[in-house]
Amino acid sequence: MSSRIPWIIKYRPRRVDEIIDQEEAKSSFLTWIETWLKGKVPEKRAALLYGPPGVGKTSLVEAVANEYDLELLELNASDYRRAEDIRRIVGVAAFRRPLTKRMTLILLDEVDGISARGDIGGLDELMRIIPDARNPIVLTANDPWSDALRPLRNSVLMIQFKELSQGEVVALMQRICEHEKLECDREALRYIAEKNMGDVRACVNDLEAVGEGYGRVSMDLVRTLVRGRDKSMDLWRTLNSVFYAKEGWQAKRAVQNSEEDYETLLAWFNDNVQNKYGSPDDAFRAWDALARASLFISRAKAGNWDLLSYVFDLIGPGVAMARQSGEVLRNRYQYPSKIIMMAKLKDVRGLRDSVASKVAPRLGISTSTFKADVLPYLWIMFRQGDVSRAAGIVVGYNLTEDEVRYLAGPRANDVIRAAEKLREELRRRSRESAEITKAEGTGKTGEDQGRTAQRRGQATLDLWWGSAGAQQPRQEGEERPTKATRRGRRGGHRESTM
Amino acid sequence: MSSAIELLWTEKYRPRGLKDIVNQREIVERLMKFVHEKNMPHLLFAGPPGTGKTTAAHALAHDLYGEEYHQYMLELNASDERGIDTIREKVKEFARSRTSPDIAFKIILLDEADNMTADAQQALRRLMELYSANTRFILAANYPSKIIDPIQSRCAFFRFTPLSKEDVVARLKYIADNEKVEYDEDALETIYEISEGDMRKAINMLQTAASLGRVTTDSVYKVVGLARPKDIKEMLEQALKGDFSGARELLRKVMIEYGLSGEDVVKQIHRELFSADLKLPEDLRVMIADYLGEIHYRIVEGSDDDIQLSAFLAWLAVMGRRVGAQS
Repeated sequence: MSSRIPWIIKYRPRRVDEIIDQEEAKSSFLTWIETWLKGKVPEKRAALLYGPPGVGKTSLVEAVANEYDLELLELNASDYRRAEDIRRIVGVAAFRRPLTKRMTLILLDEVDGISARGDIGGLDELMRIIPDARNPIVLTANDPWSDALRPLRNSVLMIQFKELSQGEVVALMQRICEHEKLECDREALRYIAEKNMGDVRACVNDLEAVGEGYGRVSMDLVRTLVRGRDKSMDLWRTLNSVFYAKEGWQAKRAVQNSEEDYETLLAWFNDNVQNKYGSPDDAFRAWDALARASLFISRAKAGNWDLLSYVFDLIGPGVAMARQSGEVLRNRYQYPSKIIMMAKLKDVRGLRDSVASKVAPRLGISTSTFKADVLPYLWIMFRQGDVSRAAGIVVGYNLTEDEVRYLAGPRANDVIRAAEKLREELRRRSRESAEITKAEGTGKTGEDQGRTAQRRGQATLDLWWGSAGAQQPRQEGEERPTKATRRGRRGGHRESTM
Repeated sequence: MSSAIELLWTEKYRPRGLKDIVNQREIVERLMKFVHEKNMPHLLFAGPPGTGKTTAAHALAHDLYGEEYHQYMLELNASDERGIDTIREKVKEFARSRTSPDIAFKIILLDEADNMTADAQQALRRLMELYSANTRFILAANYPSKIIDPIQSRCAFFRFTPLSKEDVVARLKYIADNEKVEYDEDALETIYEISEGDMRKAINMLQTAASLGRVTTDSVYKVVGLARPKDIKEMLEQALKGDFSGARELLRKVMIEYGLSGEDVVKQIHRELFSADLKLPEDLRVMIADYLGEIHYRIVEGSDDDIQLSAFLAWLAVMGRRVGAQS
């Protein structure tokens, strides 16, 4: 398994020229920063980078800080941004005279998310700081034309980020696929780019969800797994309004007004309670509410759709009011891992079922009995037992490579190699014994064996005979047909019932 | 080192004919009479897992029809079939196929019949009547009380009992010698004790222990320990210590690595809950069982298992801290 760093972080641009497109924005931002670096103060002491989500605003700032070795002070959306917070954090940094040559770059992400209610006076305080700032302040926003930001617009350098061209986004995804050694189909990448309307972050997240889960990115997968994520702003607002709500009705309204469906909301909350609530009691209450919400969804789905209204009560106010003892943690929101996990789970369960359907009928038990009673022993044999015995089972039940990977986990390669060797060896032996038979012409067992093999027309069983015939388990073997014929018929029966 | 195809020993050493069955003497004798008379009623085989119900059915068919018996026997498993409709289709199809020259009927083996709902069993009863001219049903069930009365009254009843220690140990010895496995005598007895007369479990254990090397009491216990993923126990312990994130990480690991469903995880937790390895105040165990049952019910009802189990672990973290604070 590859390292668990989300791709959006792994492939984050480290240098300015790694940021795709946005040439105009880059050049005006760099001119502005270089003025600061020359020790001068530009006319506008703050810059507002604006544009749709996922086009590289924050990435540009981080890349600049990295390339010019600036200290980056970042205040993002999930932090408190009330007047006192701004004064305490931004104010101090903005007026600081540098002790070293290293300049501080102050980044306030998503300022259009500074709410009038939760972050009282935050924007006013910012307006007071900007005209006298001694260090560059960078703000980002999706929508700079909102009323709340109007006073700010005159005192900042406005830099527009454009929606990315589809070609560039597809090319980037292709580079990632090459790096991850993922088989991908260009049409599928184009589909992802289109659905996400040029939002690179969303594209990379989708790519990861599909690629990590299935090991390939094809049109059929993408069409079922990827849906437009043009609502990421909306989600962000909903989460924030619930986690920071002071009254139940605020949280309820946030959830009701969300354009996301309740199951998406549930997945997002499920993976972010932990990031936001530090106290175990708060976290439990929140999860308890989510668990009940999920219960009501299943009840609603059973036909009683009125029950959905309780789902909103529990997701919204339920989570908001769960916070009784602790503060809200200042962690970023996390993309739900559920989607990636589900894809993997589906794969694993598919393999488990295919092993079960191969082996269970031969043991005369149901697949569920097999899973509960036999599978645990197979895991041990494959993961800790003798490799050549495991390989013997692989050949005996004709297991595929993927099925072996599922059973043997970290030891899969050893077992696969041993099974390959065993097959080779058996093939050689059966060739030899066939030659002997031909040469002798009379050997009774040899004839039997030849007939069986013909009737079966299947390589495995004559191999089986060739190797294991000698260790017939039954003593009273002579009055019974040979093991091979018996198994041959059983095999035939199997095919007919499946 | 051996380089040969390996079968699961439960398949390889399955008795073929009735006289190969080492135990259940009385049952075998009654079944042999059917073979002799070339006729039989519907049969109901009841008894715990691994006592030879399906094996006896196969052996009976083997002795009735000979080596080619599979063409005269339809094997269905109630847990694997999608519903009574698919069963009906298969039975209909099978009843139309040709019968053996000597025996006037064909056999339908329906395993795990007690897993069928009462409604499905009513439909099954009608099937049994409809095709009684040329088919006989053998129903196998762990819990005969879950089979509806009208079916019970139409079947000859056979109760399979757990195998005796002598039978199990003798069989294990026979297999071990045949497979040239090195073993300690008392290890085989240990296997019997743990498997509680379930031959399938006993043979699986023997084969697994043998794949680890010489079969000793220690290696048998090792197998038992390994067969219960210890991640579940660790997950519970971490949650109770208050390490919620660690516990959730393990939850995802068992779900992804072993492909366990939420319901599987709940069942495993339940199995661990009252084990002595898990150090807990007794009254807390009861509270956990109660909450776990609620979670189980919700998952069965179709709600999201990841969220339900996360809530469960978060609750354990809270309970664990309270207990820790008291002691």
